[in-house]
Amino acid sequence: MKNLLYKEFRLAIHPSVYVFFLLSALLLVPSYPYYVSFFYLTLGLFLTFKTNRAENDIFYSALLPVRKGDVVRARVLAAALLELANILIAVPFAVLSVKINPVGGNNAGIEPNVAFFGLSMLMYGGFNLIFFPVFYKTGRSEGKAFLWGGVFMFLYIIAAEAFAQYIPSPVSAYLDALGKSEQLRQLPVLFAGVILWAALTLLSAKISAGRFEKVDL
Amino acid sequence: MELLSVRDLCKTYPGFTLDRVSFSLESGYIMGFIGRNGAGKTTTLKSMLGLVHPDGGAVEMFGMDFRKKESACRQQLGVVLGDARYYGSKSLRDVAAVTARFYECWDDAAYRDYMKRFSLDESKRVRELSTGMWVKFTLALALSHGARLLVLDEPTSGLDPVSRDELLDIFRDTVANGERSILFSTHIISDLEKCADLITYIHAGKILTSTDRDSFTDDYRKVTGGRGELTDAVRESAIGLREQSFGFEAMMKTEDAISSGLAAEPIGMEEIMIHIEREGRE
Repeated sequence: MKNLLYKEFRLAIHPSVYVFFLLSALLLVPSYPYYVSFFYLTLGLFLTFKTNRAENDIFYSALLPVRKGDVVRARVLAAALLELANILIAVPFAVLSVKINPVGGNNAGIEPNVAFFGLSMLMYGGFNLIFFPVFYKTGRSEGKAFLWGGVFMFLYIIAAEAFAQYIPSPVSAYLDALGKSEQLRQLPVLFAGVILWAALTLLSAKISAGRFEKVDL
Repeated sequence: MELLSVRDLCKTYPGFTLDRVSFSLESGYIMGFIGRNGAGKTTTLKSMLGLVHPDGGAVEMFGMDFRKKESACRQQLGVVLGDARYYGSKSLRDVAAVTARFYECWDDAAYRDYMKRFSLDESKRVRELSTGMWVKFTLALALSHGARLLVLDEPTSGLDPVSRDELLDIFRDTVANGERSILFSTHIISDLEKCADLITYIHAGKILTSTDRDSFTDDYRKVTGGRGELTDAVRESAIGLREQSFGFEAMMKTEDAISSGLAAEPIGMEEIMIHIEREGRE
């Protein structure tokens, strides 16, 4: 697995991914639907798959002395590490954003708070569960996979924003807030987001690997 | 030692069936795998290498069941799939550095040596290589990890005659110590005449013959005769019969040619292939 991860980062991952990390700076924009800043990484993943297809990554990998399923697991793991990195890179931008922008001033969506990061992780988990299994069903339709992944994220963002701001619920009082005590109350959302992200990603890897084993190259 | 044994390999696609393909390859030999485009060469190689799932049959490599010991087999296997280049935008150094990590027997000194011998520059990008250089690079990778069986799908197609000749010499050197074997598919008959010890011929998804090169050509004769000599018995045993205004020419199995009493002469591999394919069309 270590060797396959090395292969992912040295040969396969599209360099645009690292440029898209910097779009975490969008968290500094005073009014912006902040979830969107995490969308760009998935665009980088799509470009990775697209380039890989042109570069015969699948044939190279299939001929290596490794199990075919491990090739898939390594790819999903690499993507998960990139997602985690993107979230971590965004944290300082969120902290800075709160310092420089007027408190509670985001008119376009949720504040860059603790709950936001948890809900973003959950968004990545859902994306992973859709994108990878759709792609590895055939090993060649990254466009279709990204389309469904993109539709999911779009709907998720609408739902998450509505949940935090417009639909009355027991959490409405503190989910969109930046105060210290309120953010402490958001911690369970963060933990749940991380755990669900991990669970959905593992499930995605399992389904994808199983599907890819059956594909004729 | 038998490096490869394929038995009754089957694979059905809509409109194409690979039908109980069997052949085997001992160490120290070069086997040419021939057949026209669409005869099933690539499908055979892909089924054999586990890239597609065969519907039936068994593949043994280095005495191991390929499906059960896939990783162990791949450690000693080198594959070049046509002109399917990987990672065109990366440098040879990058590709080699990654590849090296997967093989237990990777020999870096041997790798440097092959790169030098094949005049390959590590800092070049894969897409900057000519077709011949790409095949040489993949060969260098395979030989550096100690591959004993090299499977090459159409390695010489698209090469100019000089590069092709050079590559065939490399093939000969590769098997010279008797420990390695090469199986390469091609439709370029002169490649086989220059360097194949064994010929496996596939036609419409079936193996017609798998034998040494001389037996292959000895098996057939070219016969000619006047119109009056074209009896039903001759028609029956003729392969790829062509009738002309004054007579006919065809190929026959050697024993048929002798018993027919017709004028018979030895026939080259290219003509054998043409007659077999012509017969198949009719």
